[in-house]
Amino acid sequence: MTRNVRDLAQDLLYLIVLLLVPACLYVVFAVVPTEQRMGVVQRIFYFHVPCAFAAFLGVALCALFSALYLKTRDRRHDIVAHASAELGVLFCTIVLVTGPIWARPVWGVWWTGEVRLTSTLVLWLIYVGYLVLRQNAENPDQAARWGAVVGIVGALDVPIIYKSVEWWRGLHPRVLKVSGGGGLDPAMEKALMLCTVTILLLFLYLLIQRSRLGLLQEQIEALAFAERRAPASAGAAPHPTGARS
Amino acid sequence: MSLFPLPSFAHHLIAAVQETLPPGSFSAETAETVAARPEVAARGFRYLIGAYSAVWTILALYLLTLSIRLRRLSNQVRRLRERAGL
Repeated sequence: MTRNVRDLAQDLLYLIVLLLVPACLYVVFAVVPTEQRMGVVQRIFYFHVPCAFAAFLGVALCALFSALYLKTRDRRHDIVAHASAELGVLFCTIVLVTGPIWARPVWGVWWTGEVRLTSTLVLWLIYVGYLVLRQNAENPDQAARWGAVVGIVGALDVPIIYKSVEWWRGLHPRVLKVSGGGGLDPAMEKALMLCTVTILLLFLYLLIQRSRLGLLQEQIEALAFAERRAPASAGAAPHPTGARS
Repeated sequence: MSLFPLPSFAHHLIAAVQETLPPGSFSAETAETVAARPEVAARGFRYLIGAYSAVWTILALYLLTLSIRLRRLSNQVRRLRERAGL
């Protein structure tokens, strides 16, 4: 893909996200019916759940590209893994902020020791640790190696979070897979789909931009290295010539 | 469907923990209260506004820092290229 086509595709993606966000807000606040039991506060759901999907996607991509990095040692894989982890933390932060705001009026508490809440917090801590670890590594190779290991191991928490409402009794409802009826209203389901698509496209856009940042950092390291080498080789070059003459 | 059954003491433990939670910690109990009382619904609206403000503030801050970092690094790459004569 040429640079112009790539830039055009990115701009188009940005434009689509810009159009979809107000559309989502319109659907969530003006179209979707109010949930009978929880009232208006249930509308937090339409961004809380898609952000959780985006966080899981970030973690899954981080694990996938970390594994690819360990196999191929290609720095581009590490750059995508790092970008995915950062976005995973971003969306997990949104989930951890909106969750308690929703829980307070509905459950009567900001936070409980429920497995899904605790395991989500653990996931957030693992990937914040991942970012801190990379920041404190001695060199980029060490950061990539250590990051890859943490990125893969940390992703094991995702199935625990996802299945926790089935494995342990908790306060979180099983909204997406309710057998025998009682699931989401069709209008709510469509709104959730729209918001999920929007958030995932936003995730994709941010992932591209964050990966670009990583590539720029690589370029800077390469250029700085070349600059450091240049005076040394310039100083060393006359020596053999002088020795010969 | 559970992949592995919890031991019975775990169920008792969870039930005991849940009994210690304040009344109305379960959606089925408090949800009706919320719908029945307008002041609770109004309070729900405040929480809704708070949550959406938080979502868009966090995303906007991230976008802002990302664009600042991108611009700074792009400038740095351009300066290094110029210095290297590329």
